[in-house]
Amino acid sequence: MQVEWGGEQLELLPERALHHPRASTLFIADPHFGKAASFRQLGVPVPAGTTSADLDRLQAVLTRTGARRLIILGDFLHARMRDAQHTLEVMSDWWSRRSGLETIVVRGNHDRRAGDPPANWGIRVESEPFDDGPFLCCHEPRQVAGRFVLAGHYHPAVMLEGPGRFSMRLPCFRLGPRTAILPAFGRFTGAKAFRPRPGERIFAVGPNEVVQVKVMP
Amino acid sequence: MTPHTSEHPGHWPSDRLRPALQWFAARGWSPFDYQWETWHAYLSGKSGLVHAPTGMGKTYAAWMGPLVESRAESTAASRGRPACAGLEVLWITPLRALANDIAAALQRPVGEMGIPWTVEVRTGDTSQAVRRRQRERLPSALVTTPESLSLILSYPDSTDRLQNLRCVVVDEWHELMGTKRGVQTELALARLRGIAPGMRTWGLSATVGNLDEALRVLLGETTDNRTCKRDAPTGRLIRGPASKPVEIVTLLPESVERFPWAGHIGLQLLPAVLERLEQARTTLLFTNTRSQAEVWFQQIQRARPDWLGQITVHHGSIDRQLRTRVEAMARAGTIRCVVCTSSLDLGVDFAPVDQVIQVGSPKGIARLLQRAGRSGHQPGRVSRIYGVPTHAFELVEYAAARDAVQRQRPADTDSCIEARVPLKQSLDVLVQHLVTVAAGGGFREADLLAEVRRTHAFADLTDDQWRWAMDFVSRGGPTLRAYPQYMRVAERDGRFVVANPRVARLHRMSIGTITSDDSLRVKVVRGATLGTIEESFIARLRPGDRFVFSGHVVELARVRDMTAWVRRAGKSGGIVPRWQGGRMPLSSELSTAVRQKLTEYIRGIIDGPEMQAMVPLLELQRKWSRIPEEDELLVEQIHTREGHHTYVHSFEGRLVHEGLSLLFAHRLTRQAPRSISVSANDYGFELLSPEPLLVDESFWRGLTHTTGLLEDLLACLNDTELARRQFRDIARIAGLVFPGYPGAAKSARQLQASSELFYDVFREFDPHNLLLDQARREVLEQQLEFVRLRTAVERMGRCRRVVVWCEQLTPLAFPIWADRLRAQSLTSEKWSDRIARMIVRLEKKAASEPAHRERRSQRNRRVRRAS
Repeated sequence: MQVEWGGEQLELLPERALHHPRASTLFIADPHFGKAASFRQLGVPVPAGTTSADLDRLQAVLTRTGARRLIILGDFLHARMRDAQHTLEVMSDWWSRRSGLETIVVRGNHDRRAGDPPANWGIRVESEPFDDGPFLCCHEPRQVAGRFVLAGHYHPAVMLEGPGRFSMRLPCFRLGPRTAILPAFGRFTGAKAFRPRPGERIFAVGPNEVVQVKVMP
Repeated sequence: MTPHTSEHPGHWPSDRLRPALQWFAARGWSPFDYQWETWHAYLSGKSGLVHAPTGMGKTYAAWMGPLVESRAESTAASRGRPACAGLEVLWITPLRALANDIAAALQRPVGEMGIPWTVEVRTGDTSQAVRRRQRERLPSALVTTPESLSLILSYPDSTDRLQNLRCVVVDEWHELMGTKRGVQTELALARLRGIAPGMRTWGLSATVGNLDEALRVLLGETTDNRTCKRDAPTGRLIRGPASKPVEIVTLLPESVERFPWAGHIGLQLLPAVLERLEQARTTLLFTNTRSQAEVWFQQIQRARPDWLGQITVHHGSIDRQLRTRVEAMARAGTIRCVVCTSSLDLGVDFAPVDQVIQVGSPKGIARLLQRAGRSGHQPGRVSRIYGVPTHAFELVEYAAARDAVQRQRPADTDSCIEARVPLKQSLDVLVQHLVTVAAGGGFREADLLAEVRRTHAFADLTDDQWRWAMDFVSRGGPTLRAYPQYMRVAERDGRFVVANPRVARLHRMSIGTITSDDSLRVKVVRGATLGTIEESFIARLRPGDRFVFSGHVVELARVRDMTAWVRRAGKSGGIVPRWQGGRMPLSSELSTAVRQKLTEYIRGIIDGPEMQAMVPLLELQRKWSRIPEEDELLVEQIHTREGHHTYVHSFEGRLVHEGLSLLFAHRLTRQAPRSISVSANDYGFELLSPEPLLVDESFWRGLTHTTGLLEDLLACLNDTELARRQFRDIARIAGLVFPGYPGAAKSARQLQASSELFYDVFREFDPHNLLLDQARREVLEQQLEFVRLRTAVERMGRCRRVVVWCEQLTPLAFPIWADRLRAQSLTSEKWSDRIARMIVRLEKKAASEPAHRERRSQRNRRVRRAS
């Protein structure tokens, strides 16, 4: 889905990522890596595979867009990873094989507790707000005079209702006049319904496409 | 009451019973026969089930046995020395609201008979201090809920503390059986029998259609799989005095033509209800949903401001303390009317209540009888219930319910009373139990398996299912790879125990099988807690929006920390929230009775005021279409701007209709590419498609074959949200999601994930997880009533079918149409405008038939708005 926002041409992708072709940059928010592992630690059975599936999806979208930079808008890691050996191995392996990719993590509230990723992954870590060309990259959405803010944190989802009693809940992008909020990238993260603000465009993420949804006034 | 004579049949140890008889005599009471019978059976070592109507002394029937037995033993052992045996009697009640009242009733004879027993309560409401004391030392008798009992079993010293248990009483067993809390109770009872082998079990129940089964489920079956020996339970089924005659009186609308054809608030009869309230001292006004209760409470208050403080509202989302205050007022008779929901169906005897009113459909015969039984407790009084229909066809339901009650009474059989079907193989409850027992001192696998199989719920548990459940709690799944670093239950020296104390703590926080949607506390800013409300409702509001809650109009201030902060907002109107789980189906017994009523009508038998009142509407149905006979399937087709509607009136109850409509839509869309939306109510279902549906022989052949029926149903379930929704309960019970209640530790909040998320993740990464199977099975068995559905499909394939082309929605079709709109979106103004227009249009059509005109759009809008 092509959109113009903040004076730039952007692509909203069904992988729950935002592509900025001019800067060859891919943005994602809230992957929450290690969340499943931390659940298992506490005795809640979550099957393995969510991390690998997320990384596969990330690779697919990087390949398709050809993006050379990856900016993660916070909540990269869900919790401290010291007991999540399995997940750490999978992630370490993934980043070690992608030395050509410039990865920047903007710290989110979870990252502040979880700590930064190991240095040998080659990931640059920044505090919010992080200035990147036309955009101010944040985790928590905010208003900054004169700037266009990209953010995550809310895990937005939209409830769609069709004829009969069909209804669907889908993750979505929220494009406000000055703030854009990305859906959560992680497979095991969940999403939260919200009430659209005036002047906001909502783009629902379907299995294979992103579509703009009409918002009832 | 039966006078007590010394020539009672049988020989019982009357010496031991003497103190109880003296205590009864001191109150001017004499025991009923069934009480004698119960005491005698208990003292001779039997277990059993007692069924009697409310207010007939069931509590003392069960209580006196253990009491006099203990007294006799302690006097025999050593005169005067207080017994120090620890917990001797457990009293399980489904409603924690009742626990204090029960404890007070149990305490009374204890003191006066000079028995050195302590009676205490342990529920979710019990204070930390009392809990700590009970952790040190349990009382002689403890009144508790199934959840709190599981909690007690989850502590490592439970085996020592419970081994002197002599009796467990399960109160209101009919309410527990048929639910997962019932399964939880079965497992806990099996555990208790393992700890205290001589323990006796007594159930107290209201009348249900399957009392023999209720007894068997309560006692469990002593099955030994290795020897294939199956001992029948040795329990006694004891019948109390017959219930008082029940009189059903329906409040009739002045004219049925002006009465709505659909809807569920039904304020048209408010004046008649006010008149009834004038004439009684204390009235219980039952509604079917919490929103209905809020609306009725508001409207009565508006109509009679002079009754300020004399009317109140009571439902499950209202704060515990407020509810307790309301219950106290009802018991003291100091209140004119309590508007309530099923929250007051059970338990405590409100003796001063002299009138019961039911708003809306009676839904089931047993339920109507139970509600009627809440009044007229004074000897010799009739239990009378006033029915307040909210739309026209509920008149037929009341007439049909009365017929069923009358058919049942003279023969004294329970054949027309609904049965409670006990659940089987609820693996989520089993998984919870495994962790409970692992935390409560651990278990050896073979021992626990044998114990679990002694319950009715898991008598047929296969080795594979057991293996899976054990794997699920110990390593997540069948292979070690699938759940790395997973820790919950671990094997140490041949015993399965919890992996670490943190797992045990989290488990204790989540024990419980009652489901509630994610709920937020509703609290007045700098004021009292009003109750709880579902997050999905609050999510649609903005600060400043008004809504009706607990009888007040409040304004949302902000939402923070699982609490919706509100301010009181005077008198002006607000939205009435809708709570989940309000839409109970009409029982099959009652829908059969409704069909019989319609057939009688066709044959010219119009008896009773309700059917008299229905004549104009049924004549309209006959004129525009036809009235289906009992063995006939009526199909109505109509074309509107929305598309082509096909209404199938099969009278099988809403659950079956939901399944049938999904099945039909699935099979139709498989035959040809098309889109169909469906909706259903208790009487029939609708298929709506953009193109016309040709309902001919090949239509029925294609849709009503039973080959592949199960597969087809499962296939359409994957396309719907049913299984995903069903998984919500399962995820909670199996300990996957944790209730985000206020004040929960941070560690629990970090574990927030929705059941939907788990459902998706399991389907993708562990598709053989048996909890997914269970969700599908529960949808089939409980939500769609598969057995009944298959019978219905077969019947549809053979029966006489009549297809009628209609020019407008008929009285039978209209409620289904209206229900669909309601299901689609409740909050937007749009549908109500639409529904209002629709009624106007239909009325114009009808106006050219018999003479009437009244515009109703205004009134109908009020259905949704509190003012």
